[in-house]
Formats: sequence, structure tokens, C-alpha cells
Amino acid sequence: MADHIDIVIPDLGDFEDVEVIEILVGAGDSVSREDGLITLETDKASIDVPAPASGKIVELTVSVGDKLSSGDVIGKIFVEVGDTLLVTPAIEAKIAQGDTTVMSSPASLAPESVGKQTISVPDIGDFSDVEVIEVHVSVGDEVNVEDPLLTLETDKAAMDVPSTAKGTVESVLVKVGDTVSEGSPLVIVAAVDAPETATETKPPEKTVTVAAIVPAEKAPTSMSSQAQGLPAINEAGFSKAHASPSVRKLARELGVDLVQVKGSGAKARILHDDVKAFVKKVMTGGAAMPGGGMPKVPVIDFAKFGAVDLQPLTRIQKISGPRLQASWLNLPHVTQHDLADITELEARRQELKGPARERGISLTPLAFVLKACIAALKEYPKVNSSLSEDGLSLVYKQYYHLGFAAETENGLMVPVIRDADKKDVYELAKELAELSLAAREGKLKADQMQGASFTISSLGGIGGTAFTPIVNAPEVAILGVSRSSLQPVWNGSEFKPRLMLPLSFSYDHRVIDGACAVRFTTFLSKTLSNVDALLQAIP
Amino acid sequence: MTDKTHDSTVVMDPSERDAAMSAAVTIQEKALTPGPDAIHRAELVVIGSGPGGYTAAFRAADLGLQVTLIERYPMLGGVCLNVGCIPSKALLHAAKVIDEAEAMAVHGVVFGKPTIDAVALGEWKNQIVVRLTGGLVQLAKQRKVTVLQATAKFHSANRLELDNGGMVEFQQCIIAAGSQSVRIPGLPDDPRIVDSSGALELYPLPKRLLVVGGGIIGLEMACVYNSLGVEVSVVELMDSLMPGTDPDLVRPFLKIIKKRYDSIMLGTKVTGMHATVPGIEVSFEGKNAPIAQVYDRVLIAVGRRANGDKLAADKAGVSVDERGVIAVNKQMQTNVPHIFAIGDLVPGPMLAHKASHEAKVAAEVAAGEKSAFDARAIPSVAYTDPEIAWVGLTETDAKRDGIEYEKAHFPWAASGRALSLGRDEGFTKLLFDKASGRVLGGGIVGPGAGDLIAEVGLAIEMGADATDIGRTIHPHPTLSETIAFAAEAFEGTLTDLYLPKKR
Repeated sequence: MADHIDIVIPDLGDFEDVEVIEILVGAGDSVSREDGLITLETDKASIDVPAPASGKIVELTVSVGDKLSSGDVIGKIFVEVGDTLLVTPAIEAKIAQGDTTVMSSPASLAPESVGKQTISVPDIGDFSDVEVIEVHVSVGDEVNVEDPLLTLETDKAAMDVPSTAKGTVESVLVKVGDTVSEGSPLVIVAAVDAPETATETKPPEKTVTVAAIVPAEKAPTSMSSQAQGLPAINEAGFSKAHASPSVRKLARELGVDLVQVKGSGAKARILHDDVKAFVKKVMTGGAAMPGGGMPKVPVIDFAKFGAVDLQPLTRIQKISGPRLQASWLNLPHVTQHDLADITELEARRQELKGPARERGISLTPLAFVLKACIAALKEYPKVNSSLSEDGLSLVYKQYYHLGFAAETENGLMVPVIRDADKKDVYELAKELAELSLAAREGKLKADQMQGASFTISSLGGIGGTAFTPIVNAPEVAILGVSRSSLQPVWNGSEFKPRLMLPLSFSYDHRVIDGACAVRFTTFLSKTLSNVDALLQAIP
Repeated sequence: MTDKTHDSTVVMDPSERDAAMSAAVTIQEKALTPGPDAIHRAELVVIGSGPGGYTAAFRAADLGLQVTLIERYPMLGGVCLNVGCIPSKALLHAAKVIDEAEAMAVHGVVFGKPTIDAVALGEWKNQIVVRLTGGLVQLAKQRKVTVLQATAKFHSANRLELDNGGMVEFQQCIIAAGSQSVRIPGLPDDPRIVDSSGALELYPLPKRLLVVGGGIIGLEMACVYNSLGVEVSVVELMDSLMPGTDPDLVRPFLKIIKKRYDSIMLGTKVTGMHATVPGIEVSFEGKNAPIAQVYDRVLIAVGRRANGDKLAADKAGVSVDERGVIAVNKQMQTNVPHIFAIGDLVPGPMLAHKASHEAKVAAEVAAGEKSAFDARAIPSVAYTDPEIAWVGLTETDAKRDGIEYEKAHFPWAASGRALSLGRDEGFTKLLFDKASGRVLGGGIVGPGAGDLIAEVGLAIEMGADATDIGRTIHPHPTLSETIAFAAEAFEGTLTDLYLPKKR
């Protein structure tokens, strides 16, 4: 039997007018039975419509964005001889007669067809209803294990959700602004190497007639105590806590382990308010200002003095503000100022700028500063370290990832150039430009903002003579760069005009002492004067 | 026998009941005739319509799920409503009336000997069942729960096969298929040998009844038959009645039935049964074993077995143990998270009120709520005469597990209300945590113990201590006072009894 057969949308249950979000094959493609042809997305899940039989796609008559319902014809397939069609007995007879309609088996409607993996929100501690602030992937993207898929933001921090599978993104189930909790499905990846767990959850029977309808979004796959949003609860203790059934119910809803809640009622009975207060404490705990007992800034009704306009902080400001404050309050800051003579460097840069531009590279002074910093960091590894959590040891980093402060419309961002020590000035300049652009366009991926071991904040393009940058803790130092200017410099016999670059080096005085700091800036200044060394190619 | 009253949920007058019954017929006729290849779809399917199943179905429907309820029998309600708790309670009430009338003779109120119309009594019992189960049909209809009459088996993790040829595709499933009486292999196939369901059919009343199994179910039916004038014998393999129950709770009951029953054979084994023309000839073995006896009815009540292994659950990947029990987590999820199990076929006591609570948890979790089965105590009641009830920690368990406790005891002989009921054999005991004074458990024996135990259950759930209970004013004169008195006995503030100072 070899025939042209209509490909028909199988029974979709209660769904109608389901949107086509992806076309997976084109006319002429050879497909095997059950290969996905198009992807539909309901408000609950996305579904692949499988090929009803092995064969060659003759045509597909739908496009992305079309709305389809059960029974709609989406194209034709030329069926190979001998292939068994996926048909229900009721319509099998008709198929034998030739050009007929074939219902795809609902079998492959199961979203967990072989190799497909739904990636959900991992254990995120005590948080639930966390906002999705960025989605880094879209349908069709190739992802590797650990690639960030999207970024979530809690009161405390933004965090990336990494992929747990390698493969192609089949569908993205959430969008920016959605709130999710541990276990919420986020992305479906057609995995290249499906982990064993993916198949474990499948029903043991795998005949093609097995029907499985799409689990509802609210299907409780995320509700088991192991896999769900509830943080680990000490069940033995929970069952003894002095709390009434209604308080226990509330605790379950919020995922609170009653063992950790102190009761304020008579005989230390745990009340509703105790559970709520506990949650509040946990949610704000990590972000609590270390100087909780600090005198508060007075609250003023500005409108008393004139017209005002209330503008909410941008998301970035909301994130960076507390971090800056935490650093400012936690780290004893000292700033060392110095001037570097970049007269020769600037002269050489002017010579090299034109040829570089022909290669598409904007050779900025900052690229040279980065290069010099690498040399200085290697000379003074303490500046490239961090204090351990207990404050008892230093973590010396064996890598040189340089962050640089970038101004964007929404606020301050710090993209990170990874392994800057392995890049020459041209590569650094190129990456600076790329990351700055990405930052301004809001397209930085989470891993492009993580892992810096030292940060540089250059305000030289704008002006200024010196400033006191705040260390990007837990880094221990930051270099501030202001605008270079021609200054008279005494060379022993006369004043000469030299182009001087102001450096402002802030450091964590717990880690770096003043002598070390000034040695660092002196070394840095000297390095900036030696343009040949800076231009050396990376072997 | 599992128990649950439904008066709070189902109150109907006869005209409403008739409407419900005709509604039932409509629903079921429609449901009964799906085409052979009919595929039914449900967001949630519930297998079994007992107190667990219907509660789960209704709760889930109230939470917005589209629910299908599958029941293999034409009537909803499962064992509890049809052949368990409810009809047995009707018969026990009749027994109580007979006994109380007789007991008043010595106090000057003399009735004639009652005439028992077993057919009429059975009819009354059946009417109660019809009213309740008809009410369930009505409740299902109001909630737009689809009811299918069929036996379901799993075909895959998202599909059930029905014995009428239909299929149900589901997104989530709650297994609530209950349990059934354990059969003893090798017994003659004879209508005079019955299980608990059969024992509810009184007619024709036997002259001599043997109850095999001294558990709650067997003893409740023993009470009924004894009050109706039947000579009752009980045989139990273990050395005590209601094995596992605190012996002090059983003792007052045992004392009473020893006088009333033909024989109570503990530590005795039934070695054979033969159907003969005059009756079933039963032979025994054990220290108190009599010679072979002939009974004209034998009730086999040796326990119940979970039905977890009757559903081809393995096809859905659901693990079932060798006893037919399905393991679940606190969300009532099986190892397959979108399939839940509740009631008799999950671990724990086989009790309707446990099933219905588990049902709500399962339904809520299925609907996406964060819910868990967090009950600390599940009350148990034997509706014998006197009733025996307990909740929370028992002394038997405390001793086995090495849990420290302090017991407070109040004998009903010191309760004016108990005496005015002509019943002084009962008592109320409470077990307290020595350190915190919180109540850990309690046991009550005496008329109405099953109703009284609810207060102790509330006290445990609320974490009440002896002062909380004692300082709660209980109405006088009631049997409920005995709970407050027991608490006062623990505190040393009891005045209705003289107790030597303990500290």
C-alpha cells in the first residue's frame, strides 16, 4: 500500500483552536512514524503532532500561528509500502481503500515521548512564586547541560535555572513575568542523551496504542514531597509540633517546617501568625541589612515642598541597590588614588586604532587598562582573591575573569570577560564592545554577569578626576578609572606635558593593606607606561 | 466495620429521595451504555465510590476539576453505605432498643417479649441505605460528576479499561477501590456460611450463630444476633477479643457478653467445616476447644484484604505490595505522582473516616493545592454494647514503643448519668505526656463511647493538656463529663472521686 494520506490533528481532548507554535518538518522530508511534525501549544502544555506513518511529507498546509482543532487536515504524507498505519480500528477499513484520512494516534501526544525532558524549577530553598525575569532560550535553541535557561528573581537574589539536558529546546512554557515555584515545568528539551530518569517515569507499556493525554499544568507531578515546591520538612518533628490542624494546614500551604517555628501562644503553641512571621523572616532574612539596628534615614513627604513624580526603581536598580549597600556596610573600604602616565600608550593606540577599526575592533583605552590589570593581579594575587565565608581564610582564584561596570538605561550592570588573561588587547577590546552592547540591549545572559574575580569601573569617557568606587563584594578590590588629562610632570630637569590617567583603587581593608594597595597601583601605572608589553600577543 | 455517618451531608425527605433515585437511574442508564469503543475523558477519575471515593470526587469537583467516578455496583457508597457501617448501625440500634427494654424490667418497667419481624427489620435497614446512596447520586449530579458503572482496570498510566468495553483517559486518578472480606479457603460453598455483608441479611433468623473471628466486625454482628434472640458463639485464634485493643477497654464488654453468649472460645482454631442438613458442623482445636458443634449460620469475619492488586495497577507503573496495599506519601500520591490512592487499600486502619480525610487531601493535591494528610489521631470505635472507642496513643502501643505516659482513669460508676442509664460498667481513660501534660490518647468504654471519643480526638489535634480539658466546662449531667473528670484526675483537682494524693 502506498498512498497519499491526509495528516489530521488527532483528538485533543477539550482543546480547540490550538495554536501552531512550530513546524518541525517540511515538504520532502522523510519521517518515521511518530516523528513530530508540528508543535501545538494549548494553555496547558505543548503537544507534538506525530506522523501517522513512516513516509515522505508531501506538503504541510499550516504555518506557525494557525489555530487548529481536532480533525483539521494539516498536510499530506506519502506512505511507504508495508508500513502499518496508526489508526483506530473504526477507520482502518477506510484506509485500505486508498486516499483517506488517518487519525494520528494520540499515543505520541504524551509529552514525555522518548528523549523529551521537561525541565522544572529545581530546589530553590524556601521560595515559592518566584518571578521569571529573563528567558534565555527560545524554541529551537541548542542547549547543553548547565546552560542557563532562564533567570528567576526572588526578594534576595536573581538565579539562573540551568538546563539538565543537552538537546534542542522544544518549547518554553513560561514567559517573563510569570511566577513559578520549585517543580514548575519551564522548558521542554528534546534531549540528545535522555537521562534514565526521563524514561523511568514512563508507563511500562509502550505499545503504540497506549493513549496518554496531556497532563494538566496543575498535574501534581510537582506535588510529591520529594519533587515539589515544599522544602524538606522534618516530618517526625512536624507531627509533634504544638499546632492545631488549621495551623498545620497553613504550614503545608507555605511549606513551613513547624519544627523551626517558635510558638508565641500559651505553652509555646504555634499560632497562624507565628507561621506567617516565620515565612517573612525567611524571605527577608538573607537580604536583611546587616546594620539592622542602624538609625533610619528620616522619612520626608517631599510633596510638601513641591510637585513630585514617583518612579519605581528599575529591576536592575532593585537588585544592585541592596548588593552595593551590603558591600558598603560589610567591607571596610579604603581608596588609593594614583596617576598613570599613558602618553606613549595613547600615542601608540592612536596609530593602531585605524587598522583595528578595519578589523571591526574599536581599540579603546579601557582594553589596555584591562590588560595591565591582568599583569598586576598576577603580581599581587591577593587582589584576585576573596575572603572565605567564615572569614578565616583567603580563596585565591586561579582564574582571571574581569568584570567591568557598564552603564545602561536601566541601571548599572557588570558584564564579565572570562579568562581575560588568555586574551590579547584586540580580543579584549572586541569582547568589551560586544558585552557592552549586549548589556545596553538587555541581552546579557546570566553567565555573562557571573564569576568576576576583579572589577573595573571606567568613568573616564565622561569625566572626573577621582572617585571612590564600591568593591563588588565578595571580590576584594575594584579599579576606578577617571578621565585622562595632560599635566605638567617634572622629569628631573623640567616640566613636561604628560597624559596622566587617574586611577582610584578601592579595596577591602580586611584583605589588602595599604602598602599592598599602593604597590598594586604603582605596578599598574608602570605597566600602563610600557605599551609594548601590553601589546604582546598571547602565546 | 468501617463507620461514617452522613447525616450532615445527606438530609432528604422521601419525595426528594424518589427524585434522587430516578436521577440515579437516568445517570446510570446513560453511563451504562457506552459504545464498545467509547473513550471517556476526565481530568480526574476516581475508582470506587465508597466514603473515600465519593468524597474525593466531590471535593475535586468543588475545586473545579472535571471528575468521573467509577463504581462497579449499581449503587454508590461502597461497602460502608451499602453493606457495612450504615446498615449494621441500623441493626445495632434495634438490638439496643430490645436490650434496654428488657433491662428496665428489674427497675419496674416491664415490656412483653418482643416479636421480631426479620423481614420488616431488614426492609427498614434497606430503606436507610437507599436513602443515603440515592442522596449520593443527587450530590454527584449537583456537582456534575460523571458516574460510570463499570469495573475498571489500568491499561496505562493515563488510561483505564472498563469491563463494558469502554475506556477512560485521565490526567489524574484516585484509586479508592477499598477492601473485601478475607475468605478462608476450603470452606464448603453453602449459603449458611456468610461474610459481613451476608450477615446483614437477617432472614431467616438462625437459632445458633458462630462468629469466626473476634474482631470488631464479628463482634458487632454478634451483638445484633444475640439481641434478636440468637444463641451466639465466638471463636478467635488469639488469646483476646479485638486483638491489639487495650485489654482494659475490652474487659467490661467481655464480662457482659460472657453472660449472654453461648461460648467465647479464645485461643481456639477452627479445623473444619462440613455442611450437613441440620447445619454447618464445625470442629475446633485449642485449649478450650469443644467437641464439634453444629450451627445454622456461620459468619466469617477474620479480617479484610486491600483491593490494590485487583486493578492491574502495574500497567500504570503503580507499586502494590503482596497484601494488595499501595504505598503513598503524605499527599496520598503513589509512586506515580499523578495517581493517588486512599482508604482501605493504603496503609493504616481500614476506616471510612480515615478514607474520607485522605480523599480530601488527594483531591486537593490533584487540584494543585498544597495539602497533606497531617491528622495525628484516627479514632477507632467498636459499636458493640457497650461501645468501645479509642483514639491516639494506646497503652498497648506505648508499651511496645517505650513511650512514657501517665494514665488518668475515671470509672463511670461515679458518673450520675451513667448510673441513671443503668450502666455502670464503663470508664474513661486519658493518656498524657508526662512532661508537657498534653493529651496523647484516650479510650472510652460504655454506651455512646463512639460519640464521646470525638472530644478526645479534638483535644489531641489541638495539643490540649489536662488543664485545657478540665477547665472546659462540660454539661452536667452527661457522660462527656467523664472526660473532664479524667483530666482532673490527672491534675489532682478531681472532687467527684477520692484519689490518694499523687504528688
